[in-house]
Amino acid sequence: MSEINDSIYGSQAEILPHVAELFQGKLLELDDLTVKESGCHAFEHLNVRVKSEDSMREKCIRKELEPTAFQALRTLHDSIGLRVVCLFQEDVKKCVEYIRGIDGCQIVEEKDYIKKAKPNGYRSYHMILLFTAPYQDVEGADPGKFYIEVQLRTIAMDAWAALEHEIKYKHNIKDPALVVRELKRCAEELAACDVSMQMLRNLVKGGGH
Amino acid sequence: MKILLAEDEKDLREVVSEFLEISGNTVFAVENGKLALEESRKNPYEVIVLDIMMPEMDGITALTKMRAEGNVTPVLMLTAKSEIDDKIAGLDAGADDYLAKPFSMKELLARLQAMTRRKEIYRKSVLSAGNTELNTKTGTLSAVNSISLSTDEVKLLELFMLNQGKPYSKEELFQQVWAEDNEAEISVVEVYISFLTGKLDAVGADIQILNDEKGIRIS
Repeated sequence: MSEINDSIYGSQAEILPHVAELFQGKLLELDDLTVKESGCHAFEHLNVRVKSEDSMREKCIRKELEPTAFQALRTLHDSIGLRVVCLFQEDVKKCVEYIRGIDGCQIVEEKDYIKKAKPNGYRSYHMILLFTAPYQDVEGADPGKFYIEVQLRTIAMDAWAALEHEIKYKHNIKDPALVVRELKRCAEELAACDVSMQMLRNLVKGGGH
Repeated sequence: MKILLAEDEKDLREVVSEFLEISGNTVFAVENGKLALEESRKNPYEVIVLDIMMPEMDGITALTKMRAEGNVTPVLMLTAKSEIDDKIAGLDAGADDYLAKPFSMKELLARLQAMTRRKEIYRKSVLSAGNTELNTKTGTLSAVNSISLSTDEVKLLELFMLNQGKPYSKEELFQQVWAEDNEAEISVVEVYISFLTGKLDAVGADIQILNDEKGIRIS
């Protein structure tokens, strides 16, 4: 028990994985439906995580917040995180549409870093949701409301983000400016491939031209 | 090659047109500088041939106006043999070459071909249209976002941006972009138009490629 009592999430530590699983289930339903309708998957893969104790504490400190369950679950919004990785850009759009329509899912914020990439070249679609689930939340409401952060992107964008993440934490880089510039160029080339592959898929689906 | 010819002497105009067409070119011939200027605004040409002495508007005035409007199409001036000042005025106005009358048809054709071969040097490295920029050296397309283009996409978009609003046929685009690619077939044009359409959209460009009965162009 002491482990749970020590958790920054308090008694919510037990609940969050269930909420995450419930929300993941909604996306798996979409995938089943899409496979039945078109024979294609809605996404290529899906990652779900509850932010680790250490990361959450570290984030609270960085943001000058008390490391309490309330701050972690109300002021911050990424205790539950999902990453949806799709084959094509249009699949990303379809998943976003679907998430907007999920029952009990209130959209708090959406950021389209695909339409306008971050200056370093990062591309992804971010959503912050307030999801109603049959569990007590940190404020005592039951059914409760839980923040979920969803990142949606293509495999190419995901590959780039993985590499960028690795490079960012390497401090002994000889010419960081060059690496940053070239990494941005890679992002632009991958984005170009995403568009070309989407167009090729449309072409193939349309039965040639 | 698609050639615009302005020559007021009817016989010469017809003979030159015929020779160039027999040699495998498409020629649009007009009888004065004013008509040449108007036509240069409407349609894209690979090379323009202007006589200097013409009624309505002389060749040098027409060329000066074309260059002022941003038209970088290679231009050859036809001059009378003795008029050194004409040659200088033509070159000063932005002509790329001149040929003194009377000239040999073969020499005219050879000079036109040479001019289009070295058109690379007239290229500006950054072209712009609306909110959109194309860096032809790096192949970067940018507006709200930026993205990379392949070599053929750059060539294709460059044609459109240098000739904004002027319609191309699929065949013209194929000849100008894929002439040296033995494996390419004409269907490649539509595929690349769709690639470019997607990429313009992806960078948030406010220009778009139109493809209708008038032809293919950007607006």
